[in-house]
Amino acid sequence: MFSAIMDIYRHPASRRKWLTIASGVFITIALVAWYGFGLAAPWAPLMTIAAVLAGYDIALRAWASLRLRILSIELLVIVAAIGALFINNHWESAAVTFLFMLGAWLETRTMSRTRGALKALIDAAPVTATVLRDGRTIEVAAHEVQLGETVLVKAGERLPVDGEVIEGTAAVNEASITGEPIPAEKSPGSRVFAGTLAENGLLHLRATGVGADTTLARIITRVEKAQEAKAPAQRMIESFGRWYTPGVFVMAIVSYIVTRNVELALTLLVVSCPGALVISTPVSVVAGIGRAARAGILIKGGEHLENAGRITALAFDKTGTLTEGQPRLAEVVALAGQSKDDVLLWAAIAETGSNHPLGRPIIEAAQAQGHLPTAESLEEIAGMGLIARHDGYEIAVGSHRLFDHLGIGFSAEAKDGIARLHGLGHTVVIVARNGEVVGLLGLADMARASARSMIDRLHALGVRRVVMLTGDQRPAAEAIAKAVGVDEVHAGMMPDDKLDRIRAMRAEGLRVAMVGDGINDAPALAAADISIAMGASGSDIAIETADIALMTDDLGKIAEAMEISRATLTNMRQNLVIAVLTVIGLLIGVYTGTIHMAGGMLVHQLSVLVVILNGMRLLRVPKAARARVAVVRGERVAP
Amino acid sequence: MSNTTIRTTLRSDELSCPSCVPKIEKALLALPGVEKAEVKFASGRIEVEHDAALTDVDALVNSIAKTGYAAKPSAF
Repeated sequence: MFSAIMDIYRHPASRRKWLTIASGVFITIALVAWYGFGLAAPWAPLMTIAAVLAGYDIALRAWASLRLRILSIELLVIVAAIGALFINNHWESAAVTFLFMLGAWLETRTMSRTRGALKALIDAAPVTATVLRDGRTIEVAAHEVQLGETVLVKAGERLPVDGEVIEGTAAVNEASITGEPIPAEKSPGSRVFAGTLAENGLLHLRATGVGADTTLARIITRVEKAQEAKAPAQRMIESFGRWYTPGVFVMAIVSYIVTRNVELALTLLVVSCPGALVISTPVSVVAGIGRAARAGILIKGGEHLENAGRITALAFDKTGTLTEGQPRLAEVVALAGQSKDDVLLWAAIAETGSNHPLGRPIIEAAQAQGHLPTAESLEEIAGMGLIARHDGYEIAVGSHRLFDHLGIGFSAEAKDGIARLHGLGHTVVIVARNGEVVGLLGLADMARASARSMIDRLHALGVRRVVMLTGDQRPAAEAIAKAVGVDEVHAGMMPDDKLDRIRAMRAEGLRVAMVGDGINDAPALAAADISIAMGASGSDIAIETADIALMTDDLGKIAEAMEISRATLTNMRQNLVIAVLTVIGLLIGVYTGTIHMAGGMLVHQLSVLVVILNGMRLLRVPKAARARVAVVRGERVAP
Repeated sequence: MSNTTIRTTLRSDELSCPSCVPKIEKALLALPGVEKAEVKFASGRIEVEHDAALTDVDALVNSIAKTGYAAKPSAF
């Protein structure tokens, strides 16, 4: 019993909790006795006990600070509470100390929930790892795994280290790193990250990074550094806070000398900490950056948060972010009176014997039509195409150069078709049978289904110009850009050209964000107002250098980053307004005599709580984003 | 920096007002062998550079507890 009480006493948080509860109980008894039974006698002693209980911990802290020569808010509160007891205002003394403790307790709880977005990440890393040593499996602390050692991960376990799969397959949920809810298939050779979750299977990993040297640890460190980076507004407020508290202290003394009003002076002491003000911006920044990190978006500090919300132009290089990254059969053109199905079939018969990347989509499309016979003989002419024999026909499939080589001419109809497909940005595959061109196939890296809506979303957020700067050939780039609603395309660009484009846009007064992979685009990234690195989960350089690092190759995350940035800025402004109004309101209230000690403490603590709770709103995933996740999950279940 | 100086990261969940930052920092710096102490209010991280021979990690935690806050050592 005694040792249990000592445990509670030793742990500061639980000590405060029980002191607050005890103090509240005595206040309640006193109130019930007075208002319920009309008993006046117990009032003063009960309230005094309540004040002593709640004031005990405040006094401890005040004393600890005083020894370090710090004029703390606790000291002011305890002076006010003792003062109130001396002027026989027991109720005020009890209420002030109780409200201070209760408020601090609630503030601690809510504040730690605001920091909670990151706590989930920190907790994602398991404490222990199962490793294979001398042919036996043993359990060791996760940070004591040796590099190169084999680590075993069972279904349902989180990965303890960064590594490479050497044996086994599993679906690994990488949401903790990428924010992506769909698990990724991992097989030997795949890179895996500490803190991700193996949903099934059994993996043997070779450890490549442990402890602080994992992608997860680096992300956490980066996010914390970002949260700690003080925004200009915050620095201003902190210097204000430094003279505000002593200032009010002096005001209290002066007010007492002038008015001889003890209560007024004590009330001033109670409201002298600009709690809501000093906490207003950090709360929003911590919550906003934490919320973004959970979605796989690393924003490197309050300053970038501000810039990201105001982007008016977005330049990007990665054609791959808009496309599926694999060619697909976009169009079949039948010539010389043939049917489209036959053209496709002949092309596919020839392609069955080859493993050219352009062959696969053709074969897949033909297989979807029905039975696909194999060629009887096949000749591959490197860099040009294929010549196959089937059912007495000679089929030639390939590029323009193959037909020049074979001496097969093009009809006017064929030439028109080729020019049209080129104009669409397609790669053209020509099909001939027995020396006559019978059809054309247009292959293209198609736009992702989601690309259009991503660009629309950026426009809706006020990005006036979405610009593609690419080294690709013009028609291909333009076709994709047009399909998804990109405003401007600059193709065939060298790194210096990109830099010039960024400078030109900035000269026009646009706030330019540049999306790149962090290394090749370094000059353009440096010239932009804000640099964004994509697909950063594997690249430490990208995480370190960019202003915003997106863990996946998803343009939609840019819109999300902008939305979070704006919400955070709005939130910060709301908090500042609440805090400033509270400080002004309290001072006016105190001097006009409408606010006394207990009321002053109540308003002060409430304002701090309101500011924290407002910041916490940022942690909620907006409805639209939740719906998107649900859709993605639904699709996963369907097949 | 002597060669026994190490860097320890602690985390506290209880920092609810930035006014506790100087309190904890000063309390840590008052310990023997503590060369640097930084409290980050936003993340709740406490970074200390200290001579482990003079002041170990437990002593850091105790000193923070005396100012009224609970903190735990953390790997990063």
